[in-house]
Amino acid sequence: MQTRGGRFSVPGRGFAIQIGGIASLTRRTIVAAVRPPYTYGPELVSQILLALRLCWVPMIVAALAFTYGPVGVQVGGFLNFFGALDRLGGIFALLVLREFAPLVAAIVMAGVAGTAMCADLGARKIREELDALSVLGIDPIKSLVVPRFLALMIVTTLFDVYALIFGTFGGALVSIRNAAPLGPFFATYFNNATIAEFSASLLKTALFGGLIAVVCCYKGLNASGGAEGVGRAVNQAIVIAFMGIGIIDYVFTQTLLATHPELTIPR
Amino acid sequence: MRAIAARTTNSLASMGHVLEFCGRVMAGVLTLRVRLFIGEALRQAALLITGSMLIVIGLVFVLGLECGIEGAYGAKAVGAVSAAGVITSLCDLREVIPYAFGYMMAAKVGTGIVAELGSMRISDEIDALEVMGLDSVLYLGATRLLGTWLVLPFIYAIAVFAGFVASYLSVVVQLSQVSSGGYLRLFWQFQSPTDFLYSGIKGMLMATVIVLVGCYYGYYTAGGPVGVGRATARSMVVNITAIHAIGLVTTQLFWGADPRAPIGG
Repeated sequence: MQTRGGRFSVPGRGFAIQIGGIASLTRRTIVAAVRPPYTYGPELVSQILLALRLCWVPMIVAALAFTYGPVGVQVGGFLNFFGALDRLGGIFALLVLREFAPLVAAIVMAGVAGTAMCADLGARKIREELDALSVLGIDPIKSLVVPRFLALMIVTTLFDVYALIFGTFGGALVSIRNAAPLGPFFATYFNNATIAEFSASLLKTALFGGLIAVVCCYKGLNASGGAEGVGRAVNQAIVIAFMGIGIIDYVFTQTLLATHPELTIPR
Repeated sequence: MRAIAARTTNSLASMGHVLEFCGRVMAGVLTLRVRLFIGEALRQAALLITGSMLIVIGLVFVLGLECGIEGAYGAKAVGAVSAAGVITSLCDLREVIPYAFGYMMAAKVGTGIVAELGSMRISDEIDALEVMGLDSVLYLGATRLLGTWLVLPFIYAIAVFAGFVASYLSVVVQLSQVSSGGYLRLFWQFQSPTDFLYSGIKGMLMATVIVLVGCYYGYYTAGGPVGVGRATARSMVVNITAIHAIGLVTTQLFWGADPRAPIGG
C-alpha cells in the first residue's frame, strides 16, 4: 500500500472514482436537461449535424457488413441446405432488429462521433476554454454536455433505423445471390417484425447514445494537460464506451426477452 | 468540377502516402531488419499482454454471452430449442469473435499507439531519434507490428475460448434450455479446425490493419496536444470502416460459396 496525498490507495480506487464520476455526470446532465431555461437549442442542432456528417459513410459500410456477413451468409447458407431460404426474412427481422442494428449503430457512433466529441472537449479543456466559460458564468454542463447527450441519443436512434434499412438491403442481396425470389423474404420479414421489438430496439439505441455521450464528455472534460493528455483521454473513453455498450446490450436483451415471452413465439 | 477533380487527386495522393508508410513498416518486419530492435519488439509484445489482453478478452466474453442468448431465443423462435448450439457455433467462431476482437483491438491498442506516437512526435522525440541515426519507422512502427504478430495468435485463441465459455454459460447454465451434452454435441459438430484457421486469419488481418493505421496516424501527428486527440479520433474512423470491410470480404471469401456445415452431401 502506498500513501498518496495522505490517503491510502487501494486497488481499484481509480476505477471506482471514474465510475462515480461518470454516474454523477449523468445525473447532473439529466437534471440540467430538464430544468429550464432551455438555452441549448442551437448547439444541439449543430451537434446533430456534426454527428450525421461524420458517421454516415462508416455507417453504411458497417451496417451492410455486419448484416450481410453474420446473418446473411452464415444463416442463409445454413437455411439453403434445407431449401428454406424464404425463412431468411423472419430470422433477419429477429436478429437484425433485436441485435445487430442497435449494436452496429452504437459501435459506429462511439468510434466516430464519440471520439471526435471527446477530442473536441479535451482540446477545450487543455486550452482552458472551459475555465473561461465558468468565469463568464456559463455552466459547461448545460451549454456543452447536455446538447451532446441529447444529440447522440437522437442520432443513434436515427442510425438504428438507418442500419435496419441497409441491413435489410444486405439480406435482400443474399437472397438475390442465392437466386431466391424476394417476395417470400419480405413476407416472412414483415410477419416476424413486431412493434414491441422495434420500440425495444429504439429504446436500446437511445440508451447506448446516452452512455456514449456521457462517457466521452466525462473523459474530455477531465483530460489532463501534457502532450499525451487528450490522446489518452480519447483512448480511455472509447474503451469504456465499448465495454459499456456490451454490458448494457446483454442486460437489456436478457431483460426484454425474459419479460416479453410473446416475442419468442414462433411465427 | 475542378473542385471534385482536385479532391480526387488529393485523396489518391494521401492514400499513396498511407500505403507507402505501411509498405515501409511491413518491409521492416518482413526483411527481418527489425531484428536490430528485437528487444523493443519483445517489450511491445509484453505490453500488449499485460496492458490490453484482458480488456480485449472481456469484450469478446460479453458479446459471446450475447450470442448465447440470441442463439437460445432464436432457436426457440423457430421451434427448435435444442438447436441453440448450431447458432452459437456459427455466430461465435465465424463472426462475433473476430468483430469483437477487432473492435477492442482498435479501441485499446490502435488508439493507444496513436496517442503514444503522437505525443512523441509533438514533443520532437521522433526527430531526436532520427538525429541519433536510428530509423524511426523501423524502431517505432516495425517493432510494434512484430510484437503484435508474435503474441496475437495466442491472444486470439484465448479470446475464442472465452467466447465459447460465455455462450455455454448463457445457453446451458443461465437459460438452461438445453442439456450440456446436447448443446456441446451440435456446437462442436458445426465447426472444424479449418473454420478456426479462417476465423484466425480474419482476426489477424484486422489486427494488422489496426496497428498499421495506428502507427500512421501517430507518426504523422501535427498540431500540439489537440492534434494528438484529433488524430486519435480520426484513426478510429478508419479502423471502424476497415474492420467491417475486412469482415465482409473474408466472410464472403471463406464461407460465401461453401457454408461448411455437416449437412447434406
